[in-house]
Amino acid sequence: MDGKARADAFGRRELLVLSALGLVAGAQRPAFAGSPQGQLTWAVHFSLAPTWFDPAETPGMITPFLLMYALHDAMVKPMPGNAAEPCLAEAWKTAPDGLSYEFTVRAGAKFHNGEPVTAEDVKFSFERYRGTSAALMKERVAAVETPDERRVRFVLKKPWPDFLTFYGSATGAGWIVPKKYVQQVGEDGFKKAPVGAGPYRFVSFTPGVELVFEAFEGYWRKIPAVKRLVFKVVPEEATRLAALKRGEVDLAYSIRGELAEELKKTPGLSLKPVVIQGCFWLYFPDQWDPKSPWHDQRVRDAARLAIDYKSISEALTLGYSPITNSIIPDTFDFYWKAPAAVYDLAKAKKLLADAGFGNGFDAGDYYCDSSYANLGEAVLNNLQEAGIRVKLRPLERAAFFSGYSEKKLKNIIQGASGAFGNAATRLEAFVVKGGAYAYGSYPEIDTLFAEQAAELDVAKRTTMLQRIQQIVHERSVYAPIWQLAFINGVGKRVGESGLGLIRGHAYSAPYEDVTIKQT
Amino acid sequence: MKQYIARRVGYSLLSLFLLSVTIFLFVRVTGDPVSLLVEPGASPEDIENIRHQLGLDQPLWEQYWHFMANLAAGDLGQSFYYRTPVLELYFQRLPHSLLLAAVAMALSLLIGIPSGILAAVRVDGFWDSAGKIFALLGLSLPSFWVGLVLILFFSVYLGWLPSSGSGGVAHLLMPAFTLGWYFAAAHMRLTRSSMLEVLGSEYIKLARLKGLPEALVIGKHALKNALIPVITLAGINLVVMINVAVVVETVFAWPGIGRLLYEGITFRDFPVVQGVVIIGGAMIVLVNLLVDILYALIDPRIRLES
Repeated sequence: MDGKARADAFGRRELLVLSALGLVAGAQRPAFAGSPQGQLTWAVHFSLAPTWFDPAETPGMITPFLLMYALHDAMVKPMPGNAAEPCLAEAWKTAPDGLSYEFTVRAGAKFHNGEPVTAEDVKFSFERYRGTSAALMKERVAAVETPDERRVRFVLKKPWPDFLTFYGSATGAGWIVPKKYVQQVGEDGFKKAPVGAGPYRFVSFTPGVELVFEAFEGYWRKIPAVKRLVFKVVPEEATRLAALKRGEVDLAYSIRGELAEELKKTPGLSLKPVVIQGCFWLYFPDQWDPKSPWHDQRVRDAARLAIDYKSISEALTLGYSPITNSIIPDTFDFYWKAPAAVYDLAKAKKLLADAGFGNGFDAGDYYCDSSYANLGEAVLNNLQEAGIRVKLRPLERAAFFSGYSEKKLKNIIQGASGAFGNAATRLEAFVVKGGAYAYGSYPEIDTLFAEQAAELDVAKRTTMLQRIQQIVHERSVYAPIWQLAFINGVGKRVGESGLGLIRGHAYSAPYEDVTIKQT
Repeated sequence: MKQYIARRVGYSLLSLFLLSVTIFLFVRVTGDPVSLLVEPGASPEDIENIRHQLGLDQPLWEQYWHFMANLAAGDLGQSFYYRTPVLELYFQRLPHSLLLAAVAMALSLLIGIPSGILAAVRVDGFWDSAGKIFALLGLSLPSFWVGLVLILFFSVYLGWLPSSGSGGVAHLLMPAFTLGWYFAAAHMRLTRSSMLEVLGSEYIKLARLKGLPEALVIGKHALKNALIPVITLAGINLVVMINVAVVVETVFAWPGIGRLLYEGITFRDFPVVQGVVIIGGAMIVLVNLLVDILYALIDPRIRLES
């Protein structure tokens, strides 16, 4: 069993125990033999915002983590082979009653200005955090105590099994900033000259042009191999590819379609897809209406069988978007691996005939976010072939999600989510009664969900959450389509790009592992 | 004269007010910016929290009132995306836009005016036809296509010029040419038509009858008058080049105001779009106002008529 598979095989409890013993990556790794050398340049497809220099403002999206993995470090964060690796926390322990989590700050961890990382910095970072899920976390955390310089204790109002999910990966609350420095330079000053505890220190930022980082040789995990990292903003996809071909940049994010094909054919360049935590699916909101054809599970099963998943993935993302057959990303805790999706048009037609729709039926509207109308068109064509006649209704993103959450859409919804969390948080929003995007529910699911929310035993909770996913699959509550792949280009100078090292992470990381090829 | 100036200033302020109302409402028609600041499927609480932070939970009239009150104090608000004052962002990008616009304008005048003169002097001849083709291509070929073809040829195949970014003269050549070509074509057409009109006037015929050399007739007597509308147009075009070179700046990753506007539109960053449009609008209104006043100073009939 390799390291990655071994980490996957561990449950959270085992990881907690191992981390507490310092046996997981918390143990110091050997430093890079030489001093950092050379420069690598990324062509980034969006403008970089200074607000992302400050973990306190982390929004509920993956983008800021592109910079945070370089500039800052977290107590616990997703790392290669481990979704919750102890980083600035050397170890932690959970109280038996589940009412507190105590972290030990890593000895020798330093900020870029030379100051040591202390428990007070951890407390300060949590208290000033105002990004995604800040209200939820502060509502559930009663107090943050600092018994000494290296110990910090989060006291909860009541047991919250998902505390570590939120603190360690779903938010920026666990990313640590230096208290003294922030107080000294102020909020605006910090964004202009951020100081963190990550593997790279801030050098310069020219809005709309580039961001430059330099290796921080005092980083606790290892000395970064590359001296300078430069992130250039190149919004046009074809220009990014041209810059990569000319060697002006070493890595180019988001190269799609024909340009990706072109990249694949170019000698010296390589295509590097990264599967992110964005799942896409069809939802049948009328399934709880006894008068609707979708109430009949055979119709929902037919829709699932009618979709040619593989061909769609090949046509739209060169086959790199995996068909996981789930609405939960395979990187999430408590994920249950569903049986492989099947494309069987004949069986789909037979199921429809059995349900009384031998000549097919008019299934109404197919709603989707207009940004993904191309996916909608492909799926719709498959459904039409089986006899499920639908009209594509692409809506502008905001209108789509507000209609979706206000439960105004009918017939078929092509939904998606890239939100952070774990299987419980995803099910809560999309499956369970009262969920923001759930149009109905099944009593056995609701009962199991309520039970798991109060369960502190990880193994028992895993069983319950996996059972819920199994029911969702068996009842065809959803027709999952794919887990989206994000395609990037890598130039010939790059040794380790860092792409795909951390499962579900869209960008290069951890940066201290990135290397230039030795010539 | 004072009354005339006061009236023109009044009209200008009214134009700016109408522009502010229009842009304020139009950007809000494009959709909800919060949906682009979170991942799909984010919790309604997070969405509401961001909406509150950005002031988008206030009634529309209240948002407009804040916008105008801040505008009156010279504050264009804070970018939703960058969380930085819009004015600061604008002035960070302005030097890049000024440089690109100045070089593109110089190119457009250096190409457009001589070719327009040549086309007018050799009307219906080879140079006129060539000029017409040049103008037709310049005005009809989309800038993004011209830009990408230039990148493909000069960067990828020949390897002579950098594909994107800013920093040196080499970075400037392709974006300036792409932007300049369109305006060169417009300037060429206007120079040609203006020159043809002037060449048919009585004083030019007199100059020729007096036996002045043709070069002197064209270069000194005709050109001076023919250039007046071209220079007026160039002034307004310069403002347009500075503020809305959206496509060229995006294709070449040139960090100017056009790209700031593009980013504002892409992320539904209302304060940025409003700010850039209002500043650009104010520049155009100001240029028009100055031109109106100068015309009135030069030609008293204008102020008497109005």
